[in-house]
Amino acid sequence: MQSTLSLRTRPVRVVAGLAGVLGVVALVAAGCSSDDDTGKPGDTPSSNGVSKVDITLTAAGGTDECQLSTDSVPAGPVTFTVTNKDSAAINEVELQLNNRIVGEKENLAPGLSPVSFTSTLDGGAYEIYCPGAEKDTVAFTVTGEAAATPTGSTQALLAEGVDEYSKFVTSQVDAMVVGVDNLKKAVDSGNLEEAQKAYATARPFYEKIESDVDGFVLPGFKATDNKGNLDYLIDMRASSLDPAVGWHGFHAVERDLFEKKKIDDGTKKYAAELATNVGKLQELSKTLEFKPEDLANGAAGLLEEVQANKITGEEEKYSHLDLSTFAGNVEGAEQAFADLQPGLDKIDPDLAAQVTAQFDAVKATLKTYQDTSVLGGYELWTPELRKTDATKLSQAIQALQQPLSKVAEKVATAQ
Amino acid sequence: MSTTSHDDGRFSRRAFLGAGIGGLAVGALGGAGGVAWAHADADGASALPSDGVPSTTAYPFYGQAHQGGIETPQQRHAIFAAYDLTVSDPRSLQVLLARWSAAIAQFQRGRSLGAVEPTRDSAVPTDTGEAADLEPAGLTVTIGLGPGVFDDRFGLADRKPAKFAKLPALPSDQLDPRLTGGDLSLQACAEDPQVAYHAIRNLSRMAQGTATVRWTVMGFGRASAGKGQTTPRNLMGFKDGTRNIKEDADFDAFVWHDGADQAWMKGGTYQVARKIQMHIENWDSDFIADQQSVFGRSKQEGAPLSGTHEFDVPDFAKKGSDGELAIPATSHVALAAHENNGGLRILRRSYNFTDGMNENGQINAGLLFVAYMNDPAAFVTLQTKLGRVDQLNEYIAHVGSGVFAVPPAPASGSYVGEALFR
Repeated sequence: MQSTLSLRTRPVRVVAGLAGVLGVVALVAAGCSSDDDTGKPGDTPSSNGVSKVDITLTAAGGTDECQLSTDSVPAGPVTFTVTNKDSAAINEVELQLNNRIVGEKENLAPGLSPVSFTSTLDGGAYEIYCPGAEKDTVAFTVTGEAAATPTGSTQALLAEGVDEYSKFVTSQVDAMVVGVDNLKKAVDSGNLEEAQKAYATARPFYEKIESDVDGFVLPGFKATDNKGNLDYLIDMRASSLDPAVGWHGFHAVERDLFEKKKIDDGTKKYAAELATNVGKLQELSKTLEFKPEDLANGAAGLLEEVQANKITGEEEKYSHLDLSTFAGNVEGAEQAFADLQPGLDKIDPDLAAQVTAQFDAVKATLKTYQDTSVLGGYELWTPELRKTDATKLSQAIQALQQPLSKVAEKVATAQ
Repeated sequence: MSTTSHDDGRFSRRAFLGAGIGGLAVGALGGAGGVAWAHADADGASALPSDGVPSTTAYPFYGQAHQGGIETPQQRHAIFAAYDLTVSDPRSLQVLLARWSAAIAQFQRGRSLGAVEPTRDSAVPTDTGEAADLEPAGLTVTIGLGPGVFDDRFGLADRKPAKFAKLPALPSDQLDPRLTGGDLSLQACAEDPQVAYHAIRNLSRMAQGTATVRWTVMGFGRASAGKGQTTPRNLMGFKDGTRNIKEDADFDAFVWHDGADQAWMKGGTYQVARKIQMHIENWDSDFIADQQSVFGRSKQEGAPLSGTHEFDVPDFAKKGSDGELAIPATSHVALAAHENNGGLRILRRSYNFTDGMNENGQINAGLLFVAYMNDPAAFVTLQTKLGRVDQLNEYIAHVGSGVFAVPPAPASGSYVGEALFR
């Protein structure tokens, strides 16, 4: 993957703003919920205490416009019903407060039925943002005080998710240290079969979290020097070989165990070095701090890994355990998404449902390849299987990448 | 249409497109179904490529009698893509057709699909951007619905036109399943290949989660003539499309659907797409007399072998001094001519293609044959005959195939195929 994490080349990622962001949320304190009920244009401005606002997208006057039935409502629950009458240019509407998204609808196009979302709003100067409209921001005022204290802000839910995810990363790194230590012992014993098994067991841990740790550079090294790049030293492949630095890490061991099918002093040296470097990774990973969008970008990054290296069979070139590491990438991505989901459900439940459905589809497809009799638990990703099945797997991942790629923006701009 | 500019450049590929409409000349181009907006530059005429339209040409999408890309003067470049639907609920299909329609309307105006460079750091661009500085280039994108749309997945079985079905196996077919079929088709044609590519790329991206790309062909040069266009040549070096459908009355008779059995198809048509591989090396080593015999026409002029000029009406009874037919009965022209097929005609709108070299070290190139007709049986009848005895079969292979129902253009505020779901 390309750097979805902005600090990829720095040894430690530190997030300064989380506490500050939470502070802002406490001040704003607006809850948000959505549904897909279809409203009818011309409803009374308020019914059962719920204010009604119709948003009409139209190009009838010669320009693309975002029209509101009213530009002011009292504080409390508000249902926005969006109808795209005939604007090809506008396909999205957001309700914003202080440049943060309170509610929204996407995938709008002329000819589709109206869609609605409901938000409980406190008093304030809001904006309706209609990208593509001639005047893309329309002022929207909510009068009065806070109706009631919301029961939990989206940011708090996201912060909980980030905590959960941090624990997950720690658990995976710890498990990897144990797994790699077992691999080293098996290699040292000279038992090829045991070493192959230990390799298959140790591999997936790194694949679950690699997008979080792939920026680590050892102290004293330049970012451009692969000798100090932990990701290179642990996970370099034949296709990423830097001749100046040579073979290291998992795949150097893999090549000996599965291609040469022989353990020699070189193999032992590779395994010992891998154990050392994984230990360094464990230390460095303790300094990791995440923002919600890091989880989303990390999940997207893991899927890029699947597309770039697993589908192609490059990752596990000698052992053909690509589907096992593929599953590791997917599991890591799903964990990150699951930790964001409670917050995302508040922001954009449609999107959360889409991502969930596509994760389910990917897992269902992967499941058809499960085979407990094979090392790694999945069919071997041989060139023959790749020829017949790569398209199917790649398309399943593509269908997941599309909605998942939108999550980072949502959580980064959440109330 | 917008009459004001989007000077921030985020949604307008080129600011003048929006700003300049007041100064645009509006005129019918060469009997085309659509009205083109031609930019009224002083040098507008000199910018006109031979047989093409100025790159500033933007065809309207909404409110036309027919979708673009059929009667539209044939553009120089095309990308054809067929898709498999991966969903089975009508709502998802509706949303895709509606979003495709809105996006195509934007692309045909020379606009981007939302932001190329979003203002929020964490946003993913909605438009891929490679056409950001390009003109509309006469882009048309034509949406087709495959037979699968009318199977039991979407509750639309009773909307299937009686004449519409998968093409039967035809003589000489050598179809590759990976290049055959599809539930949806998109044909993007433009004077600039990057504009056509951008459209297909973004529409395919938009389909992720709803449909997957099944097969595509990139056509790099037109290989059929429309009204007022000189006849171009296919990769065999012969003129193609000399006797194509060009007059409105013939479009009405042979191309446009009358909506008799399915009202939603009124003003629509059927699209047959075939990827035809040419055995280029063999053809290039064939002697000229045989090449001309295969087609039934001369190579340079394109005249029927019974005459002297391209547009001479072929005389299929004329014999040479040797007593043999001047145009061999097994020539491509003789077999395909409407005189020999009970008056049957189809609109051809083909493109040359190349995919580099094949796995056997041969040139992988040929014809993306695209034809439009108001009854797919017309193609079946013609190809059944051609597939049996056409001399050309020695040098070609039909390797890809699809048939699609093409609804009429949508009204403003609607989308292609919307009437199907009412």
